[in-house]
Amino acid sequence: MKKRILALILALAMVTALAACSGEAKDTGKTPESETGEAPASEMKTVKAGLVCIGDENDKGYTYNFIRATETAKAELAKKGINVEWVIKYNLIEGDPVAVANEELAEDGCAVIFNNSYGQEPAMLTVAPNFPDVQFVGLTNEGSWKDDLDNTHNAFNRIHEGRYVAGVVAGMKLQEMIESKKIKPEEAVIGYVGAYSFAEVISGYTAYFLGARSVCPSVTMKVQFVGSWSDATLEANAAQALIDQGCVLISQHSDNTTPATTAEKNGVFHTGYNADMIDAAPKASIISTRIDWTKYFVYAISAVAEGKNFDADYSHGMAEGEVVMTDLNEEIAAPGTAEKMKEVMDQIAAGTLKVFDTSKFTVDGKAVSSYTAIDMTGDFVPDEGEAIWDGEFHESAVPDLMSAPYFALRIDGITLLNEAY
Amino acid sequence: MHERKQPIFHLVKRGELSSKYALLIRLASILAALLAGALIFLLLGSNPIRAYGEILAGSLGRESARQRVINIAVPLLGTALAIAPCFRMKFWNIGAEGQITAGAVGATYFALTFGGKYGIFEGKEPSLLLLLMMALGAMICGAFWALIPAFFHAKWGTNETLFTLMLNYIAIGIVKWLQGGPWEGKPGSQIIPNFHASALLPKVFGVHIGWILVLLLTVLIFVYMRYTKHGYEIAVLGESMNTARYAGMNVAWITIRTMLLSGAIAGLVGFMIVSGANKTLYFGVAGGVGFTAITVAWLAQLNPFAMIVISLMLAVLEKGAGNLETVMGIPTSIADIITGVILLFMLASEFFVRYRVALGSRGLDWVRWDEGKAGVAGKEEAE
Repeated sequence: MKKRILALILALAMVTALAACSGEAKDTGKTPESETGEAPASEMKTVKAGLVCIGDENDKGYTYNFIRATETAKAELAKKGINVEWVIKYNLIEGDPVAVANEELAEDGCAVIFNNSYGQEPAMLTVAPNFPDVQFVGLTNEGSWKDDLDNTHNAFNRIHEGRYVAGVVAGMKLQEMIESKKIKPEEAVIGYVGAYSFAEVISGYTAYFLGARSVCPSVTMKVQFVGSWSDATLEANAAQALIDQGCVLISQHSDNTTPATTAEKNGVFHTGYNADMIDAAPKASIISTRIDWTKYFVYAISAVAEGKNFDADYSHGMAEGEVVMTDLNEEIAAPGTAEKMKEVMDQIAAGTLKVFDTSKFTVDGKAVSSYTAIDMTGDFVPDEGEAIWDGEFHESAVPDLMSAPYFALRIDGITLLNEAY
Repeated sequence: MHERKQPIFHLVKRGELSSKYALLIRLASILAALLAGALIFLLLGSNPIRAYGEILAGSLGRESARQRVINIAVPLLGTALAIAPCFRMKFWNIGAEGQITAGAVGATYFALTFGGKYGIFEGKEPSLLLLLMMALGAMICGAFWALIPAFFHAKWGTNETLFTLMLNYIAIGIVKWLQGGPWEGKPGSQIIPNFHASALLPKVFGVHIGWILVLLLTVLIFVYMRYTKHGYEIAVLGESMNTARYAGMNVAWITIRTMLLSGAIAGLVGFMIVSGANKTLYFGVAGGVGFTAITVAWLAQLNPFAMIVISLMLAVLEKGAGNLETVMGIPTSIADIITGVILLFMLASEFFVRYRVALGSRGLDWVRWDEGKAGVAGKEEAE
């Protein structure tokens, strides 16, 4: 009997030893990778940068897009002789945990801290005054317009330009289906899975719709809100509900790939956001658009490394290569899509094509000629900053206006199915 | 032919254990927990000694970190105090999470309605009047949320564990609705704006004054449980409902009264979280505190003063875990696992305080297993 106990203990010891070994092996496997800097370590200037994320990279969407940019930015900065050490914190939605994360990053020596979600900024702003030498960035938000702090910043790139192009791709597909008699003109209905009826989402789907209508005049759109930025099941359900209502093409402003897979299952088409979704739905997903945060990270971090200020608000777009399109799924895209895309992208980059051309949309049957963009008094009713001039609604028009999207018009042709969210 | 099978070990209930020996077992369990945690760090390829060092450095090494530790400990201690009377009564209130949330909603109502308005609340300083209104609103809401399951339990004998648990999700759902509905700030943002300065708890030594409140509460609960008639009734009811009935106690009223108290304190904790720490309300306001507090209460064996120590210890672990992520790149989920392992070992140690493992058949009262008589525990050993 004592032998049995001995055997048990021995077995346990062996398992432990084995496990410890495998741990070691993993560790040594990683080291060479992290050592490949371009310049010798002595000449590199090291900057610590923090990133507070709403999710983690497993969403294969929103946060994943940021994590990817931290890696590309690290490589870019290494070429400039700056060694950036990223410290990333995950799954922080809002409130005190976000404040703690910002504080920990600042105390840990981060010179600049990025918060990747709108809801994190209020907590970030409670920490920022205590660390005047640390730069705090609230991505997608607008606090730097109102606070009297010198170390707070905002940034959001002009994703509506990418949405417009994705809309053109979708519209061409629909027009092809109409011309080949697969659907009647009035059956060209897009279903859009939106997170909330938030300006960022409204701006996105409106740009997408206008892009589609520029090549497919009969198109209409239905929007189903999910009530969450990221909920795979709800997103799938919303997509299914839209398809059941006759939508023949799905797009999304939500974090998961389930709208794409649901579209594929039902034999309809799809365009995505944040990441290439062709792998997830090769027969449905035509293209995606995403913000490439690399350049912004490089810009802000090199400014910090050199002890310089950087802009309090920042919004770049296609012209600067900071809003990009993922690979086109040539097998299912309508013929001539690549050429048309290039033409539209060049026009947007050159500034000759206006995404929100006020002659191209109406609200309640009337053209819109005036829109107030910014709320400075804190009551969430915009009170200054005219967004419409020269026949265009100027979205994310930094430096005149702010980077955080403010287009919240309900234009004709788009039906919101559940505005409760 | 009838050779009996030899068990490898069996469990023997201990008699009264000397407190010195019990302490030894508890210390041994902490040591074993640390070793188990070290194994996990090794599996991840991290140096366990450095990891433990970073936990301590990250939580106690700086003044701001120590303030954070207190910040984390305050709601844990407050909630453990809230559920202690229920648990003494053997009423399994695992709905503190929802009661905290309900309290937070009550406090937020007053903060949003009055903060920064009506002249007297427009100052940049915390307003005592507004804070009292918020605290009262929070206690009423928390007490109401606890009253629902208590009433049904007292009236129809419903299962309080399930009932209090389910109410948690309803409370959280209500906050989600408020966030996107009536209290939403920027349209579509799902964010309730931060409170006006008049609705924020003032700070003493860098931490909101919730820490003073919970320390006062610790003394009050200790006195309440140990020296009052209410406390006595709760203890009797916890030992035996029939004894309580026989003694002429009103069992239904004691249950309801204790839950009202419990809910009111949990609600007060919710007020401290929104007004002191978060500065606003969101659905994760309780953040699991209502559940972790159960562990605190148990580990402290419902002793309010021991709860101070345990909640501080858990706060050190939690704050230190955040540091592991920043300094060593160890995900907080791993730190959570290690915290869980440590708690498991500590809870298990209570088992070994009551039972001991005997090898082989020594001390077994040879009742044959297949005869199924008198169970398997064997005779009690008197020491």
